[in-house]
Amino acid sequence: MKITAPLCATAAVALVALTLTGCTENTPESSGDGSVQITSTADACDVSTATAPGGTVKFQIKNAGTQVTEFYLLAEDGLRIVGEVENIGPGLSRDLIVIAPEGKYITACKPGMIGEGIRADFALTAAPAGQAVSADRAKLGETAVTLYTAYVKDQIEQLVTGTGDFADAFAAGDTAKAKELYAAVRMHWERIEPVAESFGDLDPILDAREADLEPGQKWTGWHRAEKDLWPPATGYTAMTKAERGKLAEKMVADTNELAKRVQDLEYNPATLANGAKELLDEVATGKVTGEEEIWSHTDLWDFQANVDGARIAYEDLKPLLAGSAAALDEQLQNRFTDLQKLLDQHKRGAGFIYYDELTEAQKTELSSAVDALAEPLSKLTAAVAK
Amino acid sequence: MTANFLIGLREGLEAVLVVVLLLAYLKKSGRTHLYPRIFAGVGVAVAISLAFGAILTFGPRGLTFEAQEAIGGGLSILAVGFVTWMVFWMATASRTMASDLRGKVDTAADGSSWALVLVAALAVGREGLETALFLWAATRATGETWEPLLGAGLGILVAVGLGVLLHRGAVRINLSKFFTWTGAALIVVAGGVLAYGVHDLQEAGMVPGLHNLAFDVSHIISPSGFLGTLLKGVFNFSPATTWLEAIVWVLYVVPVMFIYLRRVNAVKPPQAAVQPAEATA
Repeated sequence: MKITAPLCATAAVALVALTLTGCTENTPESSGDGSVQITSTADACDVSTATAPGGTVKFQIKNAGTQVTEFYLLAEDGLRIVGEVENIGPGLSRDLIVIAPEGKYITACKPGMIGEGIRADFALTAAPAGQAVSADRAKLGETAVTLYTAYVKDQIEQLVTGTGDFADAFAAGDTAKAKELYAAVRMHWERIEPVAESFGDLDPILDAREADLEPGQKWTGWHRAEKDLWPPATGYTAMTKAERGKLAEKMVADTNELAKRVQDLEYNPATLANGAKELLDEVATGKVTGEEEIWSHTDLWDFQANVDGARIAYEDLKPLLAGSAAALDEQLQNRFTDLQKLLDQHKRGAGFIYYDELTEAQKTELSSAVDALAEPLSKLTAAVAK
Repeated sequence: MTANFLIGLREGLEAVLVVVLLLAYLKKSGRTHLYPRIFAGVGVAVAISLAFGAILTFGPRGLTFEAQEAIGGGLSILAVGFVTWMVFWMATASRTMASDLRGKVDTAADGSSWALVLVAALAVGREGLETALFLWAATRATGETWEPLLGAGLGILVAVGLGVLLHRGAVRINLSKFFTWTGAALIVVAGGVLAYGVHDLQEAGMVPGLHNLAFDVSHIISPSGFLGTLLKGVFNFSPATTWLEAIVWVLYVVPVMFIYLRRVNAVKPPQAAVQPAEATA
């Protein structure tokens, strides 16, 4: 009939396309045969090696039992099937070829084709050079991490330089210049705050607020300098030149130490997403309340920097959302834009107005924009880890 | 031996069933001269499957797991489309036959029956690649006996034998009942094939819900046992069925069966009147 011709054509095209895209090397390029040998019996599932190079991996499954068996390569969660061979009759060997990236997996034989199967952990190492791994998401995740790592390193470099300038001005008693640099330099810190906070010893000595000091803890870092630059009207003794010099020196030394440690940090898409969420929580708990910069009232600089950091992490992860979480992506995009529009209203010159110049209504408005962004942002980790 | 025999039997039954019903239909409608077309379709499917299997087993390139599942699942769903079309085409054609005299079957119907070649090819081909890979693996089993190959071969032979018996039985049923039952049987079979195709796509990760089981009776009906084999071979019944498979099966079988039975009932009276004894030959 009339419908058959187009159907035939579709079928033929589909089959050819599948065959072409699905074709892969029968023998992996790695040395020798390189295949992983599996022997399945009634009560055992012997795997010749627990690790193999990723990329194109070949499993040769031998059924040495008396029942029909199946072999599965499962993802780390034990649920997603990466590859399987069904119907391996007794006495037979079948091959399974999968294209899989580096990572943890689980092997399983199912003699009699029932139940969970006999499982074992299995690991794939990095694919040999030149071998393409089709797991696009893995690649997208890697790109995101590479981009974000570069961003963190760039920010930390600017922080080191900026801290040096600030420390010089502060130690030299150039209060006007130090005040000018204070908020701008701190932005480099605030943009990568979750990274800095991952070092539990450095964060308090660089960024502790007076109100949060533990008994007996010596107050150092940015907020100590802040109080001296914007001193309260009464009951405060200004730092001596020597005290200022010592504080400045320590800030430079601690920041250099931070920069050194950051070089070795490793991220994955989930840490990026969590970091973005943490940054926004910072805004919600510290900046929106005006607690962070209680003397200088430069909270909006920090606010902007936290949002920047979260937005960069999100934008780096964006390709992972395309298709799989397009709705979330659009929502995040809109909420970031909304929040930025609000912040832009409070810009003055290169910086912002002081936080104590905001009306209560404006603060509430900012607060609800932050909450509106925090809600979809909390779903980012799950979406990129898919 | 038994296990490999059962595999052959199951794969054989899956392929043979649709072909038998096709042949019986042609016989009933007095168009045995179209038999070669069906066999041509089967032959092409077997040849392609064996060739593909041989290339993938012995050649330098293999097929990734995703591609195998996608081909299996895709062909199954395609086969369902064709079988459904065929069931309704038969119902319509039988109406024409009822009003015309035997031998005056219109040529248009004959022309369209080229599509039967495709239906036969798809029915065999969708399981063909899997079976071929199995058979070639059996021939390659170095240092082993030829038992797996013999077992699977016997299984396929028995399936074909059952097909022949079924064919004979089907040809003996009276005409009007025959059309109703073959059509209905094909719809149930096609529903199973559809669910099976969906399962393949679930395993390939193209469709979600692989682990949401509607029911799991694999402890009662062992998938490797004789009953499991038979149910799987005939209805594509899986002892552990996912919700999506179950839903797809119901959504296909119930409305299609309803429409089909209504249409068949509408043509029943004239058919019974003309029912010619010589049609059974």
